[in-house]
Amino acid sequence: MRLVAIAGSIGKTSYNRMLLEFMVKKYKNLVEIELVDISELPVFTQDNDLSDSVAIQNVYQKVFSADGVILATPEHNHTVPAAMKNMIEWLSYKLHPFTGKPVWIVGASYYDQGSSRAQLHLKQILESPGVNAFVMPSNEFLLSNAKSAFDEDGNLKDTRTIKFLDSIIEKFLHYVKVIDLLDTPDPRTSEDEDLDAKNPVNTTIENVNMKSDEWVENASLKVHAVDGSTYVKLDRGILTVNQINYFLNSMPMELTYADDNNQFIYYNHNVPDSKMLAARVPRQVGSPLSQVHPERAFNHVKKVIHALRNGTELVGMPVSGNNNDIHVMHYYKAMRDENGRYRGVNEWVLDIMPIIKYYLSVTGQKLVKDEQVDKISPIFGLDVITGASVKNNESTDSFKSASKHENDETKNNSITESEIGIEIGKLLNSGGNIATEGVQPEGVKRSNQQLSKEVNVENSSDNDVDVVSGASEN
Amino acid sequence: MKKLIGIVGSNSKKSTNRQLLKYMKKRYSEIDEIELVEVSGLPIFVKTEDMEIPMQAERMLEKIKKADGVIVATPEYDHSIPAILSSALAWLSYGVHPFLDKPVMITGASFGNLGASRAQAQLRQILDSPEIKARVMPSSEFLLSNSLKAFNNNGFLTDTQQVKWLDSLVADFNEFINISTQLTNTHKDDETNLNDFSGDEGANNKEVIN
Repeated sequence: MRLVAIAGSIGKTSYNRMLLEFMVKKYKNLVEIELVDISELPVFTQDNDLSDSVAIQNVYQKVFSADGVILATPEHNHTVPAAMKNMIEWLSYKLHPFTGKPVWIVGASYYDQGSSRAQLHLKQILESPGVNAFVMPSNEFLLSNAKSAFDEDGNLKDTRTIKFLDSIIEKFLHYVKVIDLLDTPDPRTSEDEDLDAKNPVNTTIENVNMKSDEWVENASLKVHAVDGSTYVKLDRGILTVNQINYFLNSMPMELTYADDNNQFIYYNHNVPDSKMLAARVPRQVGSPLSQVHPERAFNHVKKVIHALRNGTELVGMPVSGNNNDIHVMHYYKAMRDENGRYRGVNEWVLDIMPIIKYYLSVTGQKLVKDEQVDKISPIFGLDVITGASVKNNESTDSFKSASKHENDETKNNSITESEIGIEIGKLLNSGGNIATEGVQPEGVKRSNQQLSKEVNVENSSDNDVDVVSGASEN
Repeated sequence: MKKLIGIVGSNSKKSTNRQLLKYMKKRYSEIDEIELVEVSGLPIFVKTEDMEIPMQAERMLEKIKKADGVIVATPEYDHSIPAILSSALAWLSYGVHPFLDKPVMITGASFGNLGASRAQAQLRQILDSPEIKARVMPSSEFLLSNSLKAFNNNGFLTDTQQVKWLDSLVADFNEFINISTQLTNTHKDDETNLNDFSGDEGANNKEVIN
């Protein structure tokens, strides 16, 4: 979690800034707080829109990307300082970084009132429609008699005051999480999943046409996205944007990111679509999921997403057309933030046969039929939707249970290979296989058989395995 | 004939609050001499080394001191007065007290339906603060809503009801100025207190600079 803190007074000496500096220091093991300076902002006027100036963009970006904001206000003439109000006017005109942002107001003043009235004004201001912040209710922190409140090292002297501040920051960190939930999409049923991505979340880049071929370029401009050799701090490490690209593009699988608003926002683009197991083209990125799936697959896409959104961690399924040389799997992994909130699906596509062949080759084994095997559904991660047994030929569009233990019917009915074949075939014929139809560009759609053939030619997987196992024997 | 200062609370060239004050200046020219002053151009308030205030604020200060009363016309930005008007009031109470016991009338114009109601309420509190201590005329809201459509091409208010209400308010304000001259009991104490007052945060810099 990352917070920004802004002191409303811009004078050389400010007890409100001292208070924030103390908090940065005191809570550094609890949360990262960055102090943002607003003393260089131009005077707000509607006649000369400077929303794109460096000074304003700087403050905007910091507030926009923060999980929460702490505002420290003194009191001038019973109200907030003009400098604080000026900053808010810039950030409520063309730019609106405070929308839905959790804000905690604190204040220090010379006398007993401790900026009480300024805090009330600030609360009103932050709740106006152009600002639309979520100000934390109650929990007022008023530091009165600020002149004598700090010691020489800038630490608050009174232990009871510190204890009180400790208790409020804990509450604020909770408040940030609670407010985040307000923004969380929560469709009741899988049918309510919005594949048109019309319910923006707090990471959605708004006012950019999702269906544009240049969505990536347009959206990047909009948020001033960094690229190239800019460093990005990750958990755990630091990489430049280029390094992140090298890293993701060398992953031994095709990766796709669809966010919690069901918008397709990324894939690791390292080969042309003709060489991909599940073809994607650059111009598709940014599209709502409804744009990159055929309509007959919508129900199944919705079911997978809804399961992931509501606690399922992983869904997997093979494509049709798999044979002894190629076994392409699509995996859908739920991504969640540190609060457990669903943040999208990480789809990876890979051919698992090279791995199997490598293993067999290295250990000197071969594949034989197992007549006693307790067969499971090739599709896992989705609960049985109709409750129909796998033998039930009417259950044409039901996904079967992931676990062989969770459904007695499944367990008791041993499944023959041909039955599974039928089931998958039915799924495919009914448009049920999300895997194969995944995110496919118009015009580059082709039958699964064709795809498999192409892949076979590309891979010549026998040779690959030989090379690998040969190397390991040396 | 009373001398009034009309403070245009917006720094926008297209301000309807300026339009309102210009209209009032014309309409009441036989009872009051209204001079418009602009807050546009003032820097955002920041404490200075020796409590110096900008030249523009200095000129406003002299005009307000000499005036019989002040009309403040405010738009509403984010439910409150614009930062630039807030800044002007901060400069005009930084070691100087032109508003002390000065009769003030608040008007407000807004593009929307609410006519700057919340900004006016905050402005009232601000003008009532110990550093400013103006005498704001009570029970006298003038909220001009949908202000873009309120004036005709010659700058006249078109709604006769509104005009009638404004006439009454201005007449009352003139009376209020007369009455205020009799409210003198606290003036001396206030003046002494204000001169000693060091503001909430470094208003008197000598105390905070090491």
